Amino acid sequence: MEAVDWENSSGVSSDTEEYLQDTKYEDDEELHFTSGFISKLQFRKDKSRAHWINEMGMAEVVENKGKLWRTMGVVRSGKIYYSIEETLFLMEIGALLLLDDNGTSLSLNDIYAKVSGGSWELFEVYRHLKSLGYIVGRHGIAWSIKGAKSNCQSVSLQCSPQSSEVVNLESEDESSIVGSFNNMHINEARPVFDVYLPDSKFRKSSPGDPSFVICLTRGDLPSIADIEVLERQCGAIPLRFCHVEYGRVSFFSFNEEELPILP
Amino acid sequence: MEPRWKGKGFKAKALAEPMSKIVSQLQSSLIQSDAHGLLTGCTVLIAVKPEQTDLLDRACFGKRIVTAEKDNDWFQLGLEEAFYLCFSLKCLKVVGDDKCPKNDVELWQCMISRKPNFPDFYKAYSHLRMKNWVVKSGLNYGVDFVAYRHHPSLVHSEYAVLVLSEGEDEGNGRLRLWSDLHCTTRVSGSVVKTLLVLRITKNGNDVASPSCLEKYTVVERTIRKWHPEQCREDNMTGENRTKQQEALGKASLKTKFTQKHDVKLKPGLVGIERGIGLVSISLVFALISFIVSRWFWSN
Repeated sequence: MEAVDWENSSGVSSDTEEYLQDTKYEDDEELHFTSGFISKLQFRKDKSRAHWINEMGMAEVVENKGKLWRTMGVVRSGKIYYSIEETLFLMEIGALLLLDDNGTSLSLNDIYAKVSGGSWELFEVYRHLKSLGYIVGRHGIAWSIKGAKSNCQSVSLQCSPQSSEVVNLESEDESSIVGSFNNMHINEARPVFDVYLPDSKFRKSSPGDPSFVICLTRGDLPSIADIEVLERQCGAIPLRFCHVEYGRVSFFSFNEEELPILP
Repeated sequence: MEPRWKGKGFKAKALAEPMSKIVSQLQSSLIQSDAHGLLTGCTVLIAVKPEQTDLLDRACFGKRIVTAEKDNDWFQLGLEEAFYLCFSLKCLKVVGDDKCPKNDVELWQCMISRKPNFPDFYKAYSHLRMKNWVVKSGLNYGVDFVAYRHHPSLVHSEYAVLVLSEGEDEGNGRLRLWSDLHCTTRVSGSVVKTLLVLRITKNGNDVASPSCLEKYTVVERTIRKWHPEQCREDNMTGENRTKQQEALGKASLKTKFTQKHDVKLKPGLVGIERGIGLVSISLVFALISFIVSRWFWSN
């Protein structure tokens, strides 16, 4: 098995200078780190199998192999469903065999074709963070819900375990997140992903609070007003604003920080 | 980011003589000498005695002009600096062409006529100065101001400051495009400063007089590039870090050749498979050495 340098595929070049260990220079992102802890994800030999459900825009897992599923996919009535970005990710590293309704296997080409609107940028962000070992989930979508209806066409997604309201998975997930992303006014920023630090003890049943919430804007920079709204929404969880262009993913924080009064 | 002191003992030196004390000494000295400055263009020129030169230098106000004059030293002050000494510290009087000292409102309006953004810029300047930070022009770094924790000879500046007026973040402003942000953080970052954005809100007050200044609000935000690679490392526990460092050590020794022979081991069969793995790797090395030595000898 060959190790794959995911730094290259995420757009960060590897021919860089030494990482300066004792000073944190806010420098070119291409400096340092490639000599550091590169997550070398290997192509998988054992593939999990999943069934792509067009109406949902998600893949329902049929057979699981390996350990990736522990930090990927949402659980609904005992089944695991992968979002488009998770599916793409697994397909790219060869860890997933995807089948359509007729049982024919889908190629990478087929699944790339299913990426709509703003989903490609979402995927690039997902891939960048996932390759670094972070645990990434869609913001506002529960990792696991028990006791919901088992009908795959109307699996509840947003409701709490106590509520009996059933929401169609498709309308809740694909359309609402990606669709409203496309309908956003220019410069409106939205939270898109919850990010957790790499953790072998991560459990979908009790994920805890994310370490960061990633926000994406439709066009240019978020306005301060937007940032304030999002900060109120996300409470104490730090925000990171993300910009994707030409295959480069960069993140910024816009934290309120009061300078100390000096003596 | 921790302040970067320029030498050993500088931090202690700064603590021993805080900026607030130096500024206070400057203030007393200028009041005593009834200091007057001349407003010309966007500069205020001031003639001072040698002991005041020293205080102006140490408090980081203005820039010394070298002249042949023996009795006086000349300094030039920026608009914000001059107004701060005049309005906030009340230790300087500024005269115009008519040689008459201007009152606060007159001076304020003069400043605005020279620099329409003056109210916001002054609010930002005075906000930081009142917290005892040293504030100088940020032109060298493509920003409005740079803020130092103490005298620039003792410490590197920590913050590259941008002043954002109301409505400026809504589309016509300073940081509008992503490339603006990349540019400013990159420039700041390469000189190890954090980008500090001061958002000034006038709260419906006008700019007729400087008394409206106290009703303006300032919100400080730092804009930093986030490196998920770095963050992940910072958050690793000691045990994980050691494991990763071992892996790194092994990884750096790997050649393209040995990568092909990396065997993914299943936990249950470690013993046997590791043995087989080691044997096969040593055989491979032996083969390489054999081939290399043959090549070497044939040359």
